[in-house]
Amino acid sequence: MARQKDAGASGRHRRRWAGGGAVLVVGAGLVSLGAVPVGAGASVRPQVSRPHAAGGTFVVADTSSVQKLDPDVVTNFLDFQVLGQIYDQLVQYNSKLQIVPDLATSWKYSNANKVLTFQLRKGVRFDDGSTFTSANVVASLKRAVNPKTGDASASFLANVKKIVPEGPYAVKFLLSQPDTSVLNGLTSVNLSMLSMKAMANGTVGKKPDGTGPFVFAGWSPGNSFSMVRNTHYWGGKVTLPAVKIETIPTEQSIASALEANTVQLGLLTQPQVANHLPSSVKVRKILDLSYRALMLQDKTGPLANVNNRRAIACAVDRKQVLGDAVFGQGKVVGPVPLGPFASNPVSAICATPDLSKAKSYLQKAGDPGGFSFTAITSTDLDPSSAAQATVVQAQLARVGIKMNIQNLAGNAYIQDWLKGQFQAAFAYNGADPSPYTMYGRYFGKGANLGVPAGYSSASLQKLLLSGDTAASTANQAKIWTAFGNDLTSNAVWIWLFSAFDYYATAPGVRGFTPSPTNSTSLSALRSTTMG
Amino acid sequence: MLIALGRRLLSMLVTLFGVAVIIFLVLRMLPGNALTASLGVSTGLLSHAQLVALDHYYGVGQPVLSQFGSWLGSVLTGNLGVSLSSRTSVASLVGSALPVTLELAIGSMVIGVLIGVLFGVFGALRPGRVVDNLGQGVAVVGLGVPSFIIGTGLVTFLASTFHYFPSSQGFASLFRDPWLNLQQIFFPALTLGLGVAAALLRTTRAAMLEVIGLNYARTARGKGLARRQVVWKHLFLGALVPVLTMSGIQLGYLLGGTVVVEQIFVLPGLGRLLVTAINNRDFPVVQSVTLIFASGFVVVNMLTDVAYTLIDPRTRS
Repeated sequence: MARQKDAGASGRHRRRWAGGGAVLVVGAGLVSLGAVPVGAGASVRPQVSRPHAAGGTFVVADTSSVQKLDPDVVTNFLDFQVLGQIYDQLVQYNSKLQIVPDLATSWKYSNANKVLTFQLRKGVRFDDGSTFTSANVVASLKRAVNPKTGDASASFLANVKKIVPEGPYAVKFLLSQPDTSVLNGLTSVNLSMLSMKAMANGTVGKKPDGTGPFVFAGWSPGNSFSMVRNTHYWGGKVTLPAVKIETIPTEQSIASALEANTVQLGLLTQPQVANHLPSSVKVRKILDLSYRALMLQDKTGPLANVNNRRAIACAVDRKQVLGDAVFGQGKVVGPVPLGPFASNPVSAICATPDLSKAKSYLQKAGDPGGFSFTAITSTDLDPSSAAQATVVQAQLARVGIKMNIQNLAGNAYIQDWLKGQFQAAFAYNGADPSPYTMYGRYFGKGANLGVPAGYSSASLQKLLLSGDTAASTANQAKIWTAFGNDLTSNAVWIWLFSAFDYYATAPGVRGFTPSPTNSTSLSALRSTTMG
Repeated sequence: MLIALGRRLLSMLVTLFGVAVIIFLVLRMLPGNALTASLGVSTGLLSHAQLVALDHYYGVGQPVLSQFGSWLGSVLTGNLGVSLSSRTSVASLVGSALPVTLELAIGSMVIGVLIGVLFGVFGALRPGRVVDNLGQGVAVVGLGVPSFIIGTGLVTFLASTFHYFPSSQGFASLFRDPWLNLQQIFFPALTLGLGVAAALLRTTRAAMLEVIGLNYARTARGKGLARRQVVWKHLFLGALVPVLTMSGIQLGYLLGGTVVVEQIFVLPGLGRLLVTAINNRDFPVVQSVTLIFASGFVVVNMLTDVAYTLIDPRTRS
């Protein structure tokens, strides 16, 4: 699925422009009307931050804004990042993308992997003061699968027949079939643990109430989101007293705010901005848990011929695409970009470009002179897609394949993509350490996104099912390698690259190391300090 | 005069109704809907039951005419609806953003009028001299360089050279922190004001040059009036009608111009609200904000017409 994105100096180092006051000769004459941020209700308090002093508010800047407060329905990347600091899930990913405890302390499969039992953490309190128990697990996940909620991650629980409490601190998931990827699904913010009071009062989408390291403090839609530290956090002391997520609509303005020391952490995606920050600003780059691919529809036309698709796979120079699209700031990847089952090599055929092989595939396809097709892009959804398409177009032309490019507005692209009304599409898709979680929705039996995936095969479905039900990691690794080889040898899609995300911290900020998943990328805030 | 004013008011209402219809239809003719805008391609992950429930929430399946009627009825009773994205009332979102945009627009007009009129008047009094050439330079920059380049340049220069970017630290209203507020408004107002100044400067200069040679101006000078009186009471007043027309037009355009400048300078005004709402296909917000921009334009034009009648007795008939 395409990723929704539509990412200090201490006070004593701060220099203010002495001439700033001069401008007020004119400014003082302005007729001014005060603006008061308005939020979601009485709980929302307007806040104004200042260039920080030690112990003050830590400001995080992003071009996006927090759009929704209900963790079950968020799809925006920043919403995941921010609500991930207020809510906890049963399990989470660590920095090596392994599943580790969160509100569940341990878990165990039994009954031929058809029962999954979680032991729950004791002494955890919601922000409203209530205690976390198995009742919260049952009610939270029941809410998630309720159609009226509209939780896009409800499909992760498709194999969960029933959730049964086993006393206050244990819960049993009864599965319709063995399913290891349910654990990966449970890391999602969309499946957060909610307070009974909030659910009963219908305030989940109005006033976040979780068990995470931070407590909701205020929201000005489109502008800012504030939280303060949770003094009762079960995971230990939270260092930052207050965090404010400030929306700064352009990355160049975020860079300026970092230089002006009004922002302590800037979330950036553009290498041309991140690489030109002054040396006093520390930039950490981390591979984005998503990937770019050229999705191909195999139903009709020249792309229905596997050898034509293979010719494309061999003619494309992924490294050059990475270089031209994002200045080489990323990594060429295969179907599984990161995690324990990452694809290596990135493709079973032509991991590096091979034009003579591409031409021989065209011969086999019966199209020795090449063929033509159209690929859609949307610079609204992925600004680098135009550059990717232009490079690929030139590369394919070397073997006689003519690729036409059609750039669409974001919503038009989504519409066509969902209906599978394209021959090829440059896509910016979300990834997951679990190959089943990533591809079950595209290539599994009855997959929700089977239409845009544009390809289905019994062998892929079988591999997905066996990978999801395999008991040992070694077995899983073998199956997922075979799965990746099946995808790439049939050139189902052409996987291109994953790009870096940039986390720029102002001088004086210590202890911030970003994590690679969306819900945990800001988790280091709990142990961050600023000078 | 009252009849003329009544006619003007009526035509204003018809114009606003037309704007409402056009905006409403154009938004619905665009591909996609509020559901796909909100969930993106994740829409494809929803089950049929989920889609039915959400279509109902977003009003996706309702007939266009019934959506329009219900929206217009609500607007007329002062209810702008609820944002589909944030689920907060549109009135509260507009209520917090409108003052910022008004402050920015007024600030830009003040800067634009000061620079434009002063350079226009003094440039016309001594054509081809230093002040005139300087004014022409300001006009060329104001007309030739887009506001997003001036704005981005200003932000980057001030931040990298002086570590100064006051509007990046959260907007402070004039009543809460006047000092910070004026710093936050000045530079975006200057960015927009340069464009206004350029247009006003040229208009003022041309109008002044025209009246300088007229008989009544010569008479004023001949009867020994002080230079200041001749310039401001006779020449400038005579040249005021085209200047006022241009000011009205510029103020109308300014409201639209704030869209870009608010993005660059991180101001939580109507322009930014509109851009975010368009991206999210948040129809209630887009419709309301566009209607406010259109109303602003129409009202300013009407006020300009009324001002003519006060300044120029010939138009009263």
